[in-house]
Amino acid sequence: MRLLSVSTALVCLALFSGVNAEEKMSMSDADKAMYAEMLENNPADMDVVEGKELFNALTSQAVYGQMLGVKEKDLPSYIAGFPRFVKPAGKVVTLSQTLQMAAALGAKSVPKLESKEMLQMTAYLKSLANDQTTNIDVKANKQMQEMMKLGQEVFEERRGGRGLSCNSCHSPDVIGQRLRMQPLPDLGSKVNASAGTWPAYRMTKSETTLLDKRFQQCMDNALLAKIPLGSREMVALEVYITNKTKGNPSQIPGLKR
Amino acid sequence: MERRSFLKSFTAAAACVAVLPRMASAADEAKKVAGPNEMSYATALAAITGGKAVVESAKVKVEAPEIAENGAVVPVKVTVDSPMNEKEYVKAIHVLNTKNGNARCANIYLTPANGEAFFGTRIKLGGTQDVVAIAQMSDGTFLSAKQNVKVTIGGCG
Amino acid sequence: MKTLIKIKPKTYAVGDIVKIDFMAMHPMETGMRKDKDTGALIPANYIDEVKFLFNDTVITKMVIWESLSVNPLFTVSFKVPSVGTLKVIAKTNNGQSVESSESITPKG
Ligand code: HEC
Repeated sequence: MRLLSVSTALVCLALFSGVNAEEKMSMSDADKAMYAEMLENNPADMDVVEGKELFNALTSQAVYGQMLGVKEKDLPSYIAGFPRFVKPAGKVVTLSQTLQMAAALGAKSVPKLESKEMLQMTAYLKSLANDQTTNIDVKANKQMQEMMKLGQEVFEERRGGRGLSCNSCHSPDVIGQRLRMQPLPDLGSKVNASAGTWPAYRMTKSETTLLDKRFQQCMDNALLAKIPLGSREMVALEVYITNKTKGNPSQIPGLKR
Repeated sequence: MERRSFLKSFTAAAACVAVLPRMASAADEAKKVAGPNEMSYATALAAITGGKAVVESAKVKVEAPEIAENGAVVPVKVTVDSPMNEKEYVKAIHVLNTKNGNARCANIYLTPANGEAFFGTRIKLGGTQDVVAIAQMSDGTFLSAKQNVKVTIGGCG
Repeated sequence: MKTLIKIKPKTYAVGDIVKIDFMAMHPMETGMRKDKDTGALIPANYIDEVKFLFNDTVITKMVIWESLSVNPLFTVSFKVPSVGTLKVIAKTNNGQSVESSESITPKG
């Protein structure tokens, strides 16, 4: 461990902070409590409210449920299981993609995956599953099994000019190490549940962000080739990462650094 | 195991190098531009008090993190001990910073209808500095309190 | 400008002191930030005044500066005097303004 901090310091002083700096820079419990309290006034709440209006203009819970073959009252637990295989789509899709299906079904203009409306509607839909358990089932069918396998491959594949993969920074043996003062997060954490807390408001970006968009931000920062939203690889990555926190409560919107 | 994790960290650190210079230059550029409401702490304070004395007081409580996760969103809460009745109340809570281009954050004009002298918000801090609260009391006196906030930068995610 | 008013706690009686949280979706542009693509300065655009009114009487008036965070939060206390309407008016330095309201309904 000691060898590690010394050698990395040689590469770039500011990146991995040594033990001393870490102690000095870690937050007190009072500080943490202040940030935790901010969840009660999460700016992303406004996106959820706006998303509800947009959703109701696009479709209704009844029509949306019908499209997916799900009773309205079962929607919350169904929503807590995305990405999942959806029959009318014939493939594994994300929650956002079901909104595109709903738009097409209602002959409305189809919102782009990158758009703000899509973010807001997805946030609203996912909020219906709040306090449900993330119940993704990667063994449910052949399609999910394939996506889980592909997701793991994408996660571990070194696709950057610098030879990095997601796993370089998010494998169990580097969790908690500090990269420019930020502890590397545990994507499978039972406490700071990752997948179940997205969409989340990112304070450093001052905007609400979807989980797949968050992946893209890591790709940008680590100079990994950027995988497009909605692509098979991206959906597979979401399957793989969501499965890491299966069983955790779904509680959105989250609030992140 | 030790070696494997070292290799991983090594490459991770290298990836961040590319990100660093860009961030630094953006911050430098921002410094050069004068904002529309540029005002130093001393000037802002004098504008509020009209030169009257300000007494540091335990009646004023400023809550802000000692270490801010990021300077763009720093939670701040100010409470002033006061009965908040027609005879005796807090007329205003002024929230200032000591080092941003504009030292003023917010001037909150209260009334006894508030029942309690409280203001909560979130501010941007350009770097490590003090957050100062000035309470303007109904008897014309000024009380104050402050909290130092260390702003850490960084993060590669 | 999207806004959100929350009263905490959700149930309260006459005479109770509640907290009013007012949030607005606003970029709070300082006038010092440059557009990433063009390099041009983004003009200052921030909420510069927020007024809280109860049954049309001002209870709190705020003068606000650009150093508040993006999508700002404003929290004040309020001693509930009776049933009524709480109104919040937020105005920007460009003269844009938005009015939001919430009913105050004490229990018991
Ligand atoms: C160079 C190191 C690095 C690489 C490579 C990297 N990440 Fe990250 N990632 C981070 C850091 C650091 C954070 C935390 C940042 C913060 O707290 O602001 C993070 C945060 C995240 C989060 C948010 C966790 C949460 O809930 O708070 C997700 C999800 C994530 N990464 C997924 C990925 C995926 C998927 C990939 C591969 C495409 C990837 N990361 C590649 C460093 C990396």
